Amino acid sequence: MKANLLEIEGLNKRFDGVRALTDFSCSVHEGEILGLIGPNGAGKTTLFNVLTGFIPPDRGRATFKGISLMGLPSYRIARAGITRTFQNLRLIRRLSVLDNVLFVFQSQPGERLRNVFFCPKACASREAENRKMALALLEGVGLAEKANDSAEALSYGQQKLLSLACCLATGAELLLLDEPVAGIAPEMTERILALIRSLPSKGKSVVLIEHNLDAVMQVCDRVIFMDAGAKVSEGTPQEVRNDPKVIEAYLD
Amino acid sequence: MNAAAQVFANVLMSAAIYSLVAVGFAIPFRVTKFFDLGYAAVFALGAYSLYVANMWLHAPLWLSCTIAVLFSVLFGCVLEMSVYGPLRRRGASPLVLLLASLGLYFFMQNSISLGFGDAARSLRLGLWNDGYSILGARVTFIQIVAVCVSPAIIGAVVLLLRATHVGRTMRAVANDPELARACGVNSGKVILIAFAIGSALAGVAGALVGLDLDMTPTMGMSALMMGVVVLIVGGTESIPGAILGAFLVSLAQHLGAWQIGSQWKDAIAFVILLAFLMFRPQGFFGRMVKKAAV
Amino acid sequence: MEYLLHILILIGIYVILSASLNLIAGYAGLVSIAHAAFYGIGAYVVALMALNWHTPLWVNLACAIILSCLLGALVGIPSLRIRDDYFVIVTFAFQVITFSVLNNWVTFTGGPMGLPGIPRPEVLGLTVSSHLGFLLLIGLFCGLTFLLCHRIVRSPFGRVLKAVREDEVFAQAAGKNVAACKMLIFVIGAGMAAVAGSMYAYYITFVDPTSFTVMESIFILSIVIIGGAGSLRGPIVGAVVLVTLPELLRFVGLPSSVAANVRQMLYGGLLVVFMMWRPQGLLGEYAFEKGSTKG
Repeated sequence: MKANLLEIEGLNKRFDGVRALTDFSCSVHEGEILGLIGPNGAGKTTLFNVLTGFIPPDRGRATFKGISLMGLPSYRIARAGITRTFQNLRLIRRLSVLDNVLFVFQSQPGERLRNVFFCPKACASREAENRKMALALLEGVGLAEKANDSAEALSYGQQKLLSLACCLATGAELLLLDEPVAGIAPEMTERILALIRSLPSKGKSVVLIEHNLDAVMQVCDRVIFMDAGAKVSEGTPQEVRNDPKVIEAYLD
Repeated sequence: MNAAAQVFANVLMSAAIYSLVAVGFAIPFRVTKFFDLGYAAVFALGAYSLYVANMWLHAPLWLSCTIAVLFSVLFGCVLEMSVYGPLRRRGASPLVLLLASLGLYFFMQNSISLGFGDAARSLRLGLWNDGYSILGARVTFIQIVAVCVSPAIIGAVVLLLRATHVGRTMRAVANDPELARACGVNSGKVILIAFAIGSALAGVAGALVGLDLDMTPTMGMSALMMGVVVLIVGGTESIPGAILGAFLVSLAQHLGAWQIGSQWKDAIAFVILLAFLMFRPQGFFGRMVKKAAV
Repeated sequence: MEYLLHILILIGIYVILSASLNLIAGYAGLVSIAHAAFYGIGAYVVALMALNWHTPLWVNLACAIILSCLLGALVGIPSLRIRDDYFVIVTFAFQVITFSVLNNWVTFTGGPMGLPGIPRPEVLGLTVSSHLGFLLLIGLFCGLTFLLCHRIVRSPFGRVLKAVREDEVFAQAAGKNVAACKMLIFVIGAGMAAVAGSMYAYYITFVDPTSFTVMESIFILSIVIIGGAGSLRGPIVGAVVLVTLPELLRFVGLPSSVAANVRQMLYGGLLVVFMMWRPQGLLGEYAFEKGSTKG
């Protein structure tokens, strides 16, 4: 029985009278790719925001590798091993592609000023190591030639690829991907999906929000269908697709 | 002469002015979401145009006040049309707008200094400045007018916001500019109207202060800062909060002035501000001042 | 010649002030109108210590920096919780309170009359009193300031600052303690401003509250903005331009009462012009876009 990486119990969240999460519970197993689907406003992104500490839930809990995530600031959750992408594609556009990747590496001594002034050699050597790793990563996703271009100069699809590369660079075990292939051309979609498919073999687990149902069918081991903040259906992609409740919700 | 009654009278007067300033500031702020420091210039111009109309052009007082308010409205609208509007349409951040308004304020304040000198100027009002003794406090006619005019104007503004189409549109744009635009609202026009109303209130407040005390080129910034303190204490979304905040701040200032000297008035107000920003940034009635939306 | 040295010394002081504010506002994106307060705190600490205890330069300087940093931390606390444009108001409040204290606590700070007769500092046994001597001293501190800024900005910490400036949410999601970074840079900036204040006190030998008002904070901010926020050389260019400009006005023959106002109108006008057409300043790379509706 594979360990449960992430346990979510009874999360509830209300915004101005709208129920964004309604007693939502689920688990994420180690090494799986879990898809999260449902109509707009179903609460999928809200779930991500609650899990990563950007929004506090009204009720409920979530634990990651046994540690409770409730009340932790976002940066601590990130350091604990959960990383994410954003629906509106967040990156540091002013920095170069390489710098974006370098930025997200964890535990950099050079990020503490004390080290910058008193241990410059250690900082420099770590930075050099990180650089090598970053370039290798960019190579792996096919963005190596763009390493020195500013992130702004990339196409939308390439920027999404870069976000994914950054997620890998953090070394996190759980990746929460919010619409990783929305709005991009089929070719790039294939590349990104292939990358996502390879993640469990690298020891990562993924929860992925997508509207592109083909993508979800291809890539996910399990799928959860959400509507109005609640879990309506859960199972393999086939099972969920054929679930009468899901069909009904889509027809509504 | 009853010291407590005097303090109370002073508090009433200050609160009347502060609430006018705060509400006038809040109206465009709610719709545009940036701190318009140019508001301080509008306030000062209200006072000084009253001076020009009354002392140089010898217009009767009622006409001078009207001119002052009209001029403030005009000036506020000019600022919006020539600087803020264009900047907003280019997608400028609230910081850029704040900095531009700072530059405008700086420019205007020094123009006033240049034109009128730094020394305080006052109007010769004769009978209007006569004192009455009410319950042991000395109040002037102007002060009585101010204390009556301020709630009347604020009441009118509240009515405008709640009951008229214009008011409802302003609230719609304030709550959700995208949605409002999608519903066909011309946000540019709405914002201009908001600036007109806000500037009118600034002009009235400036004129009242000019009539009651005197005018100096830096009066605008002092008034604006008090207005901002009051808004933050009361909650930027709430008019009752602003009025409550105005009373609280005035009370603290005047009690403090009574006990430790009037030179600490500013510091008292700002210490209250810091306390609220540290422990209750949404003020009494406001909603949480959110950080970046995710 | 003495006049030229005087201008250069002033430029030096303003380079330190604007470089430190640039770290806060240009690199971390935290607009602050409290810089003159820290400048003043540095100046007054040095003045009080030199006048009352005749302690040496390094001791006074250290105390000025420490007090400024502590107060900077105090002001920094609200920044952890509120939006950046509200933070500007916090810094404004601190600035006014500081000025109030300097102006009204007469027994301690001399009130509006200020503190005259500050003794000249001694460096390595030599008393620094000539213009040239001060120029060298200030030059030394400018150099140190520049070096400090350079190291900070080019380090991974500097990269975090630039990221925070653009997208705090992304930075947090990447595991960076954004609040701690902002606090740290604000405190460092405050300490550096205190150094400038110390130099001012020793050079002019007289401190009074009117040198440390909101207007002064705005002036320093204008230097950062016009020189170019987020660039290392921006503060230098900005300081040169904004310090020499009014001196040029002198040669135009404006009476001094008018000159002060015209000078400030110029700053205000330049600020508006730059915000409308070149918010990143002459050399800068940051255009204060945080929270903008573009992209």
